[in-house]
Parts: sequence; structure tokens; C-alpha cells
Amino acid sequence: MSPTVLLAILVLLALAGNLAGRRRALAVSGGDVRRLHSLTRYHGLSVTLFTAVPALFLFGAWLFVQPLVIEGKVSRMAALSAVSDAGAAELVMGDIRRVAGGLDVLAASEGLSEGDLASLRVEEGDLPSRLAKAGVAIAGDISADVLDAAREYRRLTHLSSVAMTVAVTAMALAGLFWSLRRLTPDYRARNISESFVLALFIGSALVAVLTTFGIIASLLVESIHFFRLYPAQDFLFNLTWNPQFRGGSDLGIWPLLWGTLYVSFVALTFAVPVGLMAAIYLSEYATAATRAVIKPAIEILAGIPTIVYGLFALITVGPFLRDHFAQPLGLGSSSSSVMTAGLVMGIMLIPFVSSLSDDIINAVPQSLRDGSYGLGATQSETVRQVILPAALPGIVGSILLAASRAIGETMIVVMGAGASARLDLNPFEAMTTITVKIVSQLTGDTEFASPETLVAFALGMALFIFTLGLNVLALYVVRKYREQYE
Amino acid sequence: MSVLATNTPRKGSLLAVDDRTRRRNAAERRFQIYGRIAIGIAIAALAVLLFTIVNNGASAFRQTFLVLDIPLEEKVLDKSGTRDIEAMKKVTTIGYGKLIDKALQDAIAAQGIAVEGLTDKDVKNMISKEAAGLLRDRVLSQPDLVGQTLRAKVLANGRIDGYIKGRVSYESAERDSNVTPAQLRLADALKDAGILSRKFNWDFITTADASELRPESAGLGVAILGSAYMMIVVLVLSLPIGVATSIYLEEFAPQNRFTDLIEVNISNLAAVPSIVYGILGLALFINFAGLPQSAPIVGGLVLTLMTLPRIVIPTRAALRSVPPSIRDAALGIGASKMQSVMHHVLPLAMPGILTGTIIGLAQALGESAPLLLIGMVAFVRDFPGAPPEGFFDPAAALPVQVYNWTQRSDPAFVERASGAIIVLLIFLLAMNAVAIVLRRKFERRW
Amino acid sequence: MAESANMNVMRQTDRDTAMADVKIDARGVQVFYGDNHAIKDVDVEIGDRMVTAFIGPSGCGKSTFLRCLNRMNDTIPGCRVEGQLKLDGEDIYDRRVDPVQLRAKVGMVFQKPNPFPKSIYDNVAYGPRIHGLTRNKAELDEVVEKSLRRAALWNEVKDRLAAPGTGLSGGQQQRLCIARAVATSPEVLLMDEPCSALDPIATAQVEELIDELRSRFAVVIVTHSMQQAARVSQKTAFFHLGNLVEFGETAQIFTNPHDPRTESYITGRIG
Repeated sequence: MSPTVLLAILVLLALAGNLAGRRRALAVSGGDVRRLHSLTRYHGLSVTLFTAVPALFLFGAWLFVQPLVIEGKVSRMAALSAVSDAGAAELVMGDIRRVAGGLDVLAASEGLSEGDLASLRVEEGDLPSRLAKAGVAIAGDISADVLDAAREYRRLTHLSSVAMTVAVTAMALAGLFWSLRRLTPDYRARNISESFVLALFIGSALVAVLTTFGIIASLLVESIHFFRLYPAQDFLFNLTWNPQFRGGSDLGIWPLLWGTLYVSFVALTFAVPVGLMAAIYLSEYATAATRAVIKPAIEILAGIPTIVYGLFALITVGPFLRDHFAQPLGLGSSSSSVMTAGLVMGIMLIPFVSSLSDDIINAVPQSLRDGSYGLGATQSETVRQVILPAALPGIVGSILLAASRAIGETMIVVMGAGASARLDLNPFEAMTTITVKIVSQLTGDTEFASPETLVAFALGMALFIFTLGLNVLALYVVRKYREQYE
Repeated sequence: MSVLATNTPRKGSLLAVDDRTRRRNAAERRFQIYGRIAIGIAIAALAVLLFTIVNNGASAFRQTFLVLDIPLEEKVLDKSGTRDIEAMKKVTTIGYGKLIDKALQDAIAAQGIAVEGLTDKDVKNMISKEAAGLLRDRVLSQPDLVGQTLRAKVLANGRIDGYIKGRVSYESAERDSNVTPAQLRLADALKDAGILSRKFNWDFITTADASELRPESAGLGVAILGSAYMMIVVLVLSLPIGVATSIYLEEFAPQNRFTDLIEVNISNLAAVPSIVYGILGLALFINFAGLPQSAPIVGGLVLTLMTLPRIVIPTRAALRSVPPSIRDAALGIGASKMQSVMHHVLPLAMPGILTGTIIGLAQALGESAPLLLIGMVAFVRDFPGAPPEGFFDPAAALPVQVYNWTQRSDPAFVERASGAIIVLLIFLLAMNAVAIVLRRKFERRW
Repeated sequence: MAESANMNVMRQTDRDTAMADVKIDARGVQVFYGDNHAIKDVDVEIGDRMVTAFIGPSGCGKSTFLRCLNRMNDTIPGCRVEGQLKLDGEDIYDRRVDPVQLRAKVGMVFQKPNPFPKSIYDNVAYGPRIHGLTRNKAELDEVVEKSLRRAALWNEVKDRLAAPGTGLSGGQQQRLCIARAVATSPEVLLMDEPCSALDPIATAQVEELIDELRSRFAVVIVTHSMQQAARVSQKTAFFHLGNLVEFGETAQIFTNPHDPRTESYITGRIG
């Protein structure tokens, strides 16, 4: 039975529970709802909650655990015991899954019964072509072991699916009847359902914690895998990045880190003065009418997806810089370069710097401006010598936040910076960044368990630590600044 | 006193501006000019960005077609004469292709067009390789057409399209193995004869992606549907979870370490680079939970986790803006805390919450980096099925489709990518417009 | 050549100052905030080397008028000033007048102490620096010390000039602001309710200071407190609903007001 049907059953049960709860509440009150502690709808709600929520949790947990258990069982079968290498095991497992899926398709398309499937033999030799005809492509031959394992996989999956349907429905029914039985006129249905809802709220709030935990766990686990295959000191201190298809790769982080920092530096060098001056102009000089037009216009830049900036870098800025700067100056002939990515990223960062700085400049009390004007300072002297120093911590915070965006930005560098890892100073040379390599190593053809793929997780870890550090620092600085004027 | 004495020269008339003040005023003007320049740079960047994208992409919505009279001969398409679909399916696209080629040859002959150095193969290659398949689909859906002469729009080859749009020139054709100058001359002649023309191309929005060699027939249908599926997942998951989280933190949470932990988490998650969410999705949903690659459900889940903090922050602000007096009023007449929140605070905060949610969704719609890692870059030709099963079918996503097209060598795909961005920006614009209207309409000042 | 012209101008002003005791002469001043007519036809003569107090109920326009005297109203959008305001015989709203130069001559101290988030030294040195009053560090040090002494703050802060000005107590902060205003050696010092945010002891110190400052500057003080006006000022102007009701010797205003509205205010019936 498909999960969708099961879900529909749960919804129906929940609705039925609701009605039954209301009915029963009315019945136990003897037709006088005033005798009830809670309104009938709370009785209905409490039955619904007890019916649906535990069953849904069981459902979700089952779906999550089922593949783990089944694959664990199947992998202990003969097919995999011969394979020692984790990556190869993963491939065999993939084959098993595909063959199992193929058998399902065959059963449907050729009208095979379960018995027919059980009697399928590898020796007949036409299995791969029959599968291919049914739309399931299997590379190479299917070994007898894999076929057996696939059959076992199918059997267990079907079994588990039936068991799940039974268990989940039983859980829902149990919840329904249990909560109905508890229903008396004094039953505090409102309080109970409210506590239940509050528990759901707390559960929702925990999603954020679980996400962080999930990020750290997934980065950590795979990074540890990586460092088992590739020495950490090489990753941290090797100055070359040169992944090879067949082992012997150099996977030093430095060229990538250098590219990341270089691009971010170019971006901030462009964005900070422009963003800051724009913020100053808007908050200190512009009339209300100008501000009402210009401020949203600049903020549009923040709403444009990064893929658009990436395309802009690729088709406009890159060729422009190459034709008008890099080639005439003899600095290179690549349209993707640190300069391309940096400039475009700088444009993207302008609104970040300007809107944060704008808030911070506006938080500087008017009395300081008055004090300065009262002494005969011009507006720019007031800005430069009173407002900016007063707002400095906040502005530094906003620059740190912008830096963290720059370091974590992906699409612009993927499309604008290039893919060659090198330690170079020429800004018109293509270089690469941590994010670019995360994408290329994880979307490439190398097998998952190889260091060349797993390095992406170590790079992700580095990226996460970097940006997190910058964010925490920025938030701390900004908060300190806010306290100063509160 | 001596120091103050040195000041005296400054004490001139107010009406005469002294040198120092003049210098200071010049500095003031310079400073203002810097400000204007900064604003100018920002606005110019926005203008150039939008202009180049629209300029490059607008032509993707118009495509070059040949209008041909195609004789759908029964002896080729339906030998049995029964109009039996199964029997007709035996005729492959090659059969249809020949009919189209012949129709073009006839049209050229009828117009008396003679082009030097034009081979039959050149003529054949004027037509998109996709055209035969499209004709076949059409005939199979309307078998009655067989035996008639169909006046149909046929897609021209991508290079011919490029020539009409000015991307391909005689010089580039000399060097290009996919197109010959003779073909371009033929294109000119056909254009003069009214056979070849540019028309609005709905197929760009509705059809699926096409292979590397057929840019003229590549469309956004699968990507738009995939993005829509993902947005449904994001909306269904992130709105309730986000609102529940916000209500808990804003209305119920005690001041303690656990609450602090959640708050710090949310503010940090909002700033985690999006690609890290892609890594999480790959490790958790695909490798660990075994969900399929390229599936909208995985993309939706990843984008949900990414969007949650961005929804929680404005939602909490909306809840906070409801004055405490409303809560007190409800509590004062004996409502429970939960009732005061659900009956009064939440409805009042709803416009703000919806505005924040729409803006969060718009961000999620434009996000591409995490989707690259969960396999949404794959080439997908088939439309995903209807929900909910369709959530598990492979699909593309709008921003990733853009990326995909930029990775292909044929420059025609750059036009397609820019066109796709126009579609994406229109969606974003619409969503933001809705958010702004909501805010304007329901905004309340307490 | 330019220098001698300058000298002439200088001599001219010196003579004017010497001739008239009137420092600021206001004739028919009107102030509008958009459509709101905030100050109606005010005539006032502010004497040199004496304290002039502006009193009146809240919203009567006394602060607005004060802010006209150094064109601080320029920073408020929609504010318009009509009539004639002359400093040493020169119209301060003349098109040729640079407000920056004017404010160097007409300093201002605000209601709430507003030291810049800089060191004590930098706070005081701010004015001399922007106006270029000193030629070197030694001179600047001297100006800072002199100003702090004049503001009766030197002894309290001389050991911590590098400490932030925001770390001082409220009264000290206000005296720092006075020192900051004095450091540009203005000719007129405007004070907008300088003691309203201070405790009684700090108020007494500042009042004492105002009395001393009178020996060098024309001081104009806006105050809510009639006792304060009586204690520190020589002349008092009573504002009511944007009108200048009565202007005269402080003693006369408080003991023998001519206008019944003044009397009502002083005896506590309005305000």
C-alpha cells in the first residue's frame, strides 16, 4: 500500500475521531453542554490529536528507518560480503535497489506473477535487456547474488510496507479509542489539547536545533571519513589542489582558501565604499522623496537571485573585463577571473552593506548631530568625525556579515571565477573557491566514498566554521553597539 | 590668552566667507558628490544587470519557424489505413522527417528559389531535428489528419534561428560545421518568400528541456513544474513549522538557556551559506534516508530548512507588533493563553506573517546552489507525475535550469538561459508584488 | 591685497562691536514650520556680556527662537524664517552668510548633555580642529585646558583626558559640552535648558559657570525654571504662544511685570 493511501486513511481516522469525540462529549453531558468542563470542539480536537499525531510520528519514523534496516539485512547477504571497500558496496547496493525496482516494473509490464519472479534465472541471460525494455537500465551483467539480494530486498520492502500499514493504523485506532474512553464531563479536554499543541510548538522550535545538529553531524561524519582516507595535515598544509581520478590526489585547501578570500576581498573593496557612501547619502542628505525611490531600488539588488548575478558575470562582466582590461594590459585572456566574480559579488553585496549601515547610522542619536552642527561643523565633518566613529562598531558588524555572505556565495563564483585552483596575485586570472570545489566534487563522476568526493565535506566544514565565526562575531559587535544607545 | 589671540583673524565679517570655510564647503560638496556617485553606481549596476538580461533573453520568447504545407501521406504514415494508433506508432520520426523535408523542398521549388552550393543535406538541416517528433506527436493525437495536407509551423534549426536573431553571421558560418553560408542565403530567401518567420514561442515556457544539439526546442516546462512542486513542499512545511516556532518563542517560551539555544540557532541558521544546506540534503535525505536524487521532495525539504529561519524572523516581528493590550483583554475575560494567541494575536499578525512567508518563498524560488548538490542539475526530459507521487519523480528547477543551460557550448543556450531568468524574475516580481499589496492593505499601526 | 581688505573688514566690525552693546538685534522675526506659525513678530535685543533668559510655558517658541540665532533651524526641513536678525549689525540670514561660520561665532549647548563618543580631549578639541583655530598640538592642548578650566571641569578630568566623554556623570557631561562650545571661542553662547537633565547640585555648578561665562560672552539661556532665570540672568524675555510678551530687566519682569500674562505665568496661573 502506498504511503499516500496510508496518509489518507490517517486523515479520515482523525476526522472520524473528531466527530466521535464531539458526539461522545455531547452524549456524556446528557445533552447539556454546560455540564462539560470544555467545549465539545475541544473534546473533538483532543481525540483528533491523539489519533493522528502519534500515528504520524510512527509513520515518519518507519519511513526513515525502513531503508536502513532493510539495506543492513540485505548487505549481510552473500552479494556484499565479498566486497570490502565501502564505495564498491555502495555501488552494489545501488544495483540491488535498481534491480528490485526493475522487478516491480517487470511484474507490472509483463504481467509476471510473484512465482514467475521467483523463478527468474540469471542464466537465461535476457534479464538485463528485459529490464532495459521496461525502462530500467542496469550497467553490465546482473550476478546471481545481486538478483537474489534484489528479491530479498523486494520481499523485505513489501513485508515492511504491510507491517507499517498495520502498525500505523493500529496506533491511530488505539489513540482514537483510548482518548474516547477517557472522555467524561469533567475531562479537561481544552487543557489537554492545549498542552498537546504547545508540545507540538516546542517540537517545531526544535527543528532549528535539529537542523544545526544535522548540519554539524553530516559535515563531521563525512569529514572524518575523508580524514581517514586522506591525512589532515596534507589537507591543511599542502599548497596544491590537484584531484586525480585514480588516487594520488593533492587536496590542499590553500589554493581554494586563497581564491575565496581574494574574491571576497575584491567584492568587499567594491561594495563597502559604495554601500557605505550610499547609506550615508540616503540617511543624511537625500530628501524623503529621493529616499523613497532610491532605497527600494537598491534593495531590489538584494532580492535578485544569485544565479542572475552568475549569468551577468558569465555573459557580460567577464567578457567585458577580458576585452577591455585583461587583454590590453596583457594580464590574461580568461573571461572568468577573480575580478569578474569579485565585481559582480560586490554589486550583490551593496544592498547588504547599505541597508545595514543605514539602520546603524539612523540609530546614532540626533543629539550628537545637533551637538556637532551647533559647534559649526559642516554636514560631512559631522558624518566623518562624529557619526561614523559612533557607528563604527555597527558598521564593522555589517561588513563582517557581508564578508560571511561573500565567502559562502556559490553561484557567482561557480559561473564567474573559474575552476583552476592556483595561488596567484593576478586578479584577471581564473581562480577557484571553496564553494566552487564543493559543487564540482559533489556533482562529478567520482565515486562517493573516494577522498576526491569526500573532500567536499571537509571543505563544507571549513566553510561552515568560517562563516559561523564571522556571523557570531558580527552579531556580537552589533549587539554591543545597540546596547550603547539603548 | 596668546592662543586665543591667534584666533582673532578668523573673526571677520559674517558676510565674507573666509578661505578655510570655502575649503570646508568644497570638501562638503565633494563628499556629497561621492554619495551621489555611490548611489549612481548602485543604480547603474541594477540597470545594466536588468538591461543585459532582458536584452539577451527577450528573443528566447520568439522563435524562427517555417510555415510549410506538409502532405501527410497515408501510404507513409498509416499503411493499414485503419487509423489504428498502435499500428501508426510503428512509423518512427524518420518517416515524418522525410515528409517535412519534402514539403520544404517543394516550397523552395514552388517559390523558384535557387541558391548556389546548396546540398539536399543543407536543406534538410534547415529544420530542427525536433520537428519530426513534434509532428508525429500531433498526428498520433489527431489520426484524422492523415491523408490531408497540413499547414504547420515547423521549428527551424537553432543556427538558422541564430542567424535570424543576429547571433550567427556569414563569417561565423564559414567556420561552423553545423551551418553553411548557403543555408543562410536560403534562409534569407525563405524569409523574403514569407515561409520563414519569427513567431511568439509558447513552447519555451511549456515544453521540456532538449538535448545539447537542439537549443531551438529547449523549454522550461519541467523546470517550472519542478520549482512549483518544491514551492508547495516549502510552503506546506515551513509555514506551519515557522509559525509554530515563532508562537512558541514569542508567546510561551520561558527565559532560559533552552530558549536562548533555540534563538541563537535560528539567527545563525539564517546566515549559514545556502550550499551548506545542499550538503546537509545530500548527506541526510539522499545518502541516509535514501530519497531519490533530483526529486522535488528533496529540493523542497532542503529549501524548507533553509527558509525556516527566514520565515521565523519576520513572523516573530509580526507577533511582537501586536500590542500586549490585546492579549490582556482576552486573558482578562477568562480566555486561556492558547486561546488568546490563537483567537486574537495570530489573526492580527497574519498579514505580516504572510508577507514574510511570501518573501521567504521568493528567496527559496531563486536559490540554486543547494539544488546542484542534490542532483537537480540532471538532464530531465519527462514531466514529473501528479502530486503526491510526482514529488518523488525527477524534475528540474528554474534557477538550476539556467545554470544547466549556461554550461552548454551552443551560444543559443545563453539566450535560453537569459529568457529563463526573465521568467524567474517575473515570478519573483509577482510574489513580491503580492507581499507589498498584502502589507499595504492590511498594515496596521498600533 | 586680500589681507588688507580683510583687515579693513575687521576694523569695521571691531568698531561696530565697540559702539553698540547690542550683540544680536532681532526685528519682526517670524518662524514657520510648514503651515504652522511658530514665532510671531518677535523683536529682541540681546546685549553683549550679559545673560539673557527666555522663559515661557512649553511650546511657546522660546527654543525655536533660540535655534534661529545660530540657524540650527536650517537642519529642520520645512522651516522658514522671516524678518531681520542681526549679529553685530550683519544679517545672519543673508544669502552670503555661511551657517558654518556663523555657528563658530554663536555656540550652542543643548538640553541633554550630548558628548561625542570620543575622549574628553577630543570632545573639546573637536571645534578648534574643524575650524582650524590652532597651528600645532601645543596650542590645541592649551585651548583644551583653557576651555576645560573655564567650564570648571579641568580639575576633575585633567588626569583622564583620554577617557571617553560618555563616561562622565550627567553634570560633568554638560560642563564638558559647555567646554566644547567655549573652545571655539564664540561670541555668543546659546543654552537650551542646559540644566533640565541635571540634578540640583550639578545645576548649581552649571549656573555658577554661566555667571562666570557672562564676563566673556553674550549668553542666551532658555529655561523652564523661573528661579533659574531670576538667579542667572540680567534680562528676561517672556514668550507665550509664539509671541514675545514682555522683555526687560530680570528684576523688573519678576517683581513688576507690565503684562498681565507675564504676571499670570510668574504667579503660576498659566504654564
